Amino acid sequence: MMIEIIAADRFTLQELTDLYNQTRVDYLVPMPMNADRLNEYVHDFDVDLHYSCVARDTDGQVLGLSMLGFRNETAWITRLGVLPVSRRTGTGAVLMDCMLENAAILGAKETHLEVIKNNAPAYNLFLKKGFLETDTYLVMRHAPRPLRDSLQGETTWLGFDGALKKLASYPKHLTWINACESMRNSPNTEGLHISLPNGSSGWLVYRNTKFTLRSTLSHLIIHTEQGDPVEVGTQLLSHLHTHYAHHDTYAENIHEQDPHLPAFQALGYFTNFSRIEMRRQSSS
Amino acid sequence: MAKILYIEDIQDNITLVEKIVTSRGHDFLFARNAESGLELAFAAKPDLILLDLGLPDADGQTLSVWLKSDPALSSTPIIVLTAWPEEVVRQTVNAYNLNGYLCKPFSLMELVNKIDSVLGTKTP
Repeated sequence: MMIEIIAADRFTLQELTDLYNQTRVDYLVPMPMNADRLNEYVHDFDVDLHYSCVARDTDGQVLGLSMLGFRNETAWITRLGVLPVSRRTGTGAVLMDCMLENAAILGAKETHLEVIKNNAPAYNLFLKKGFLETDTYLVMRHAPRPLRDSLQGETTWLGFDGALKKLASYPKHLTWINACESMRNSPNTEGLHISLPNGSSGWLVYRNTKFTLRSTLSHLIIHTEQGDPVEVGTQLLSHLHTHYAHHDTYAENIHEQDPHLPAFQALGYFTNFSRIEMRRQSSS
Repeated sequence: MAKILYIEDIQDNITLVEKIVTSRGHDFLFARNAESGLELAFAAKPDLILLDLGLPDADGQTLSVWLKSDPALSSTPIIVLTAWPEEVVRQTVNAYNLNGYLCKPFSLMELVNKIDSVLGTKTP
């Protein structure tokens, strides 16, 4: 099959949304979007639609798409998907080649991506294209529920600027979606700092996203400045869920060895699925 | 007979479930995303909500929280119909205090029996 590649900015957001949803209809974890959410995704994660691609055959039938984010000499491949009827035709490989070529044009020294654990076809494609597995991250949920533990410590709620200042000091790697640049791109970023009576301290940065009718919490990042991460994390999350007692919470890309993981679990978070981060150095 | 609201973005699934629900004599309503589903639930006060987890605006888990936070809907039973892995769905149903689930693909009789058991009725 002859496959033609077209820049994604030649399509409307609605067309891209429809195509993306069709590629994910039988996905391990179906996560459809609407055009507003895709627009927000493109903005928040610095996706460049000019360097993102749509694949189609010579009859003009669309086959799949892939998107490319770029910042700080690093590229990020995301939303890669092929229509179910067009799988095993080489479309995914062609889209990946296009992404890597565009990453090189933009001057990327490294390219990152994430793949859902057990998505073997995608994982194997990425291995073939030179990506190496780096770390595993958890995507977790928390439903509103009564808190068992008593609240401790002095808390300071942080606005956008205060939250970003804390996040800029985070000493470890953050995946693309939780990185400082992504959180800076969202007006919904907030935070919380805590000082406990025993001298422990830490902070939590998150998004408080407003929908038309309600709000929800997501993109949680916890850092312990001093003390036991489980204790600090438990108190931060307890304060968060007391303050936002009726909010659903979606915590994406928590490192599987994050020292605060027991705190998440103690508060009732459970894992929806895991993602593997993979990286590829540029050949030059 | 009951008033059943199905919140799902894929038309084929809506069509299939509508046939099953209406053939049992129930009234059928549907919405294709979370926010219109919430508005329709507020307006129609259904007896049962069938909920997909993968919705294009807010997902089904978040929507279930919004539904249950409204006093008029807090006791409305919610059954999850989803393609997610069963273990995750089971945990989700427990954590979000929902009333049951069916993992796609499911049979006509499985859906009928689930609706009957949650509504406490026996459909003809």
